[in-house]
Amino acid sequence: MFRQFLLGQRPAELSMGTVHARSLDPLPMHGPELGVQADDIDAPEMDQEPKQEVLENKDVVVQQVHIDGLGRTKEDLLTYEISDVFQAKNLIDVMRKSHEARQKLLRLGIFRKVEVVIDTSRGEDALPNGLDVTFEVTELRRMTGSYNTMVGNNEGSMVLGLKLPNVLGRAEKLTFQFSYGTKETSYGLSFFKPQPGNFERNITLNVYKVTGQFPWSSLRETDRGISAELSFPVWKTSQTLKWEGVWRELGCLARTASFPIREESGHSLKSSLSHGMVIDTRNSSILPRKGGLLKIHQELAGYTGGDASFLKEDFEIQLNKTLFWDSVLSASLWGGLLLPIGDKPTSIADRFYLGGPTSIRGFSMYSMGPQSEGDYLGGEAYWAGGLHLYTPLPFRPGMGGFGDLFRTHFFLNAGNLCNLNYGEGPQAHLKKLAECIRWSYGLGIVLRLGNIARLELNYCIPMGVQSGDRICDGVQFGAGIRFL
Amino acid sequence: MVCRRYTNKAAEPWPENATLYQPLKEDQILLSDCASSLAVQAYLRMCGLPVQVFCRANAEYMSPSGKIPFIHVGNQVVSELGPIVQFTKAKGHSLSDGLDDVQRAEMKAYMELVNNMLLTAELYIQWCDDSTATEISRPRYSSPYSWPLNKILAYQKQWEVRRKMNAIGWGGKTLEQVYEDVSQCCQALSQRLGTQSYFFNKQPTELDALVFGHLFTILTTRLTSTELAERVKSYSNLLSFCRRIEQTYFEDKSS
Repeated sequence: MFRQFLLGQRPAELSMGTVHARSLDPLPMHGPELGVQADDIDAPEMDQEPKQEVLENKDVVVQQVHIDGLGRTKEDLLTYEISDVFQAKNLIDVMRKSHEARQKLLRLGIFRKVEVVIDTSRGEDALPNGLDVTFEVTELRRMTGSYNTMVGNNEGSMVLGLKLPNVLGRAEKLTFQFSYGTKETSYGLSFFKPQPGNFERNITLNVYKVTGQFPWSSLRETDRGISAELSFPVWKTSQTLKWEGVWRELGCLARTASFPIREESGHSLKSSLSHGMVIDTRNSSILPRKGGLLKIHQELAGYTGGDASFLKEDFEIQLNKTLFWDSVLSASLWGGLLLPIGDKPTSIADRFYLGGPTSIRGFSMYSMGPQSEGDYLGGEAYWAGGLHLYTPLPFRPGMGGFGDLFRTHFFLNAGNLCNLNYGEGPQAHLKKLAECIRWSYGLGIVLRLGNIARLELNYCIPMGVQSGDRICDGVQFGAGIRFL
Repeated sequence: MVCRRYTNKAAEPWPENATLYQPLKEDQILLSDCASSLAVQAYLRMCGLPVQVFCRANAEYMSPSGKIPFIHVGNQVVSELGPIVQFTKAKGHSLSDGLDDVQRAEMKAYMELVNNMLLTAELYIQWCDDSTATEISRPRYSSPYSWPLNKILAYQKQWEVRRKMNAIGWGGKTLEQVYEDVSQCCQALSQRLGTQSYFFNKQPTELDALVFGHLFTILTTRLTSTELAERVKSYSNLLSFCRRIEQTYFEDKSS
């Protein structure tokens, strides 16, 4: 007598597929892409069967674990992920550990689906309480391609993407993205390799050429660069070490660009080492309900070659708390500092910008702070804070379905962006950042796009506007990944 | 009915803080750019318009047309001698007002000759002659940048100039032929100048500024061989012409 337990997909949740929102940042994708979104998977509910009472107390031994359906994947990669299954002592444990192993196999990003079959042992050396666990996997195709057309900012472009998952058999991934536009062309090639047995430790190599047009500064920038990035977890944090070499070319976007922007035109080479640390305990990156985020990033340029020489620090903090009636209070704080090393002044390509629907709402995109004849030059130090109250839509239309993607929010944003004179002390700097604070408040509707991006439609009232800032009071629309 | 009031920008007087931008003098600037910059400086001095010279490593990229020198006057940025002459003319300063139509056409023709012959020869010698390119042009052009950007930019510029030379038919010329062209150009200029002080009567024009810029730079720039300077030196009236302009307009420099 045997019973076959099939732990497979739960059709209602997983077959709805994934919603990929396009990253607005043209750089190539970072890190692994999961075919399944992490917070869509809940712990499985155990089907209550009448016979389970008897089996639960039974000690079992997992004798064999098979993986069927491997093509190019190397087996040594997978032994780490499934080794835990052998530790299970009773049936519930086997089911739990098999499910965990299935999650681990899926997060490698090399299988389209994984099904688990648990059966009693067969064969000559089968024990009476022995079990065989089989993972039936379907590998992803060798190469997947995508083709999009994008229109925006007076430019149209076609984007071709090629992805080769599991290219050498150990969950390496090669991604290529090429964008051909009416004005600019960009491309990026990225190679990702995790450590076998330790997927969170991985290395990514990138080669890219990215062009951007920044009408708020009348500036055009072309970056050609290579980078090598090492990621590893330390306790609860995720650490990243990166070396990047970029050839930057700056130019004026229009003949009417102001002279300070014209002075920034030309070529420069930046070779920098950077370190980043992220602690993320939120339950979701878009519209989280609880948890917090701490991101600290520092970059040191100039000591490994290149023309640019500076030390750059920036941080991001976010805290969320669910209040009564399904509403969420969220507070966030951003800040950054750019310290030039040596006599050369900082380049506009390294400075910070502030303002717009993704940071201080009520102001035009990146149109705050030092400027010359309407072209914004960016600043060397900034801080920005936001306080939000998210509530469900009034009248709760379409509860449980479409309506859940929308939230209303009431917000208060404040911040400042300026240049610091590094001859003065920190007291003078704090004073400078504290005077002439820009702030705004308002309310709006937020739409969640998949798990990556969100859209906002807000009514904003900007205050504390300094001369030279460009505001967008009234209705403002914003789309992006990272919001204050 | 809509009334528009047009402000005549050209009517604004020449400001005190006009500036001229060129590449770094000591380490970076090359023969052709130095000649063009000196021509513009001479022209402005002849007009009596004060201008301050700033050296920037990225002057070539700052320029709206990609060529140096360029001047920053008030709110406007103008590059190259031709447009600068037009610009000053609109502000009421001109050196060629006294010329009649025939003379003006002749002046334009000689300026074309200098641009097509002398300037092109300078570019050829700088970038198409391997020894000059390797020893002088590429190191100087890329001196403000660090490796590997310096190599990339230098070779990119060299490739661009060589492509242009091929397009105008100079790609197949030898160095000797280029020197011959320079000699012929100098001969034409020398004949036109004759024994006069300047090319047209007693007053200098933009042609004088242009010729001075190129010849003076050729005479005072050290290249891998002195052949080019020798060719110019063989015309004594051109030599005294250069000396005269230097003494008249650049006195503070030589003192």
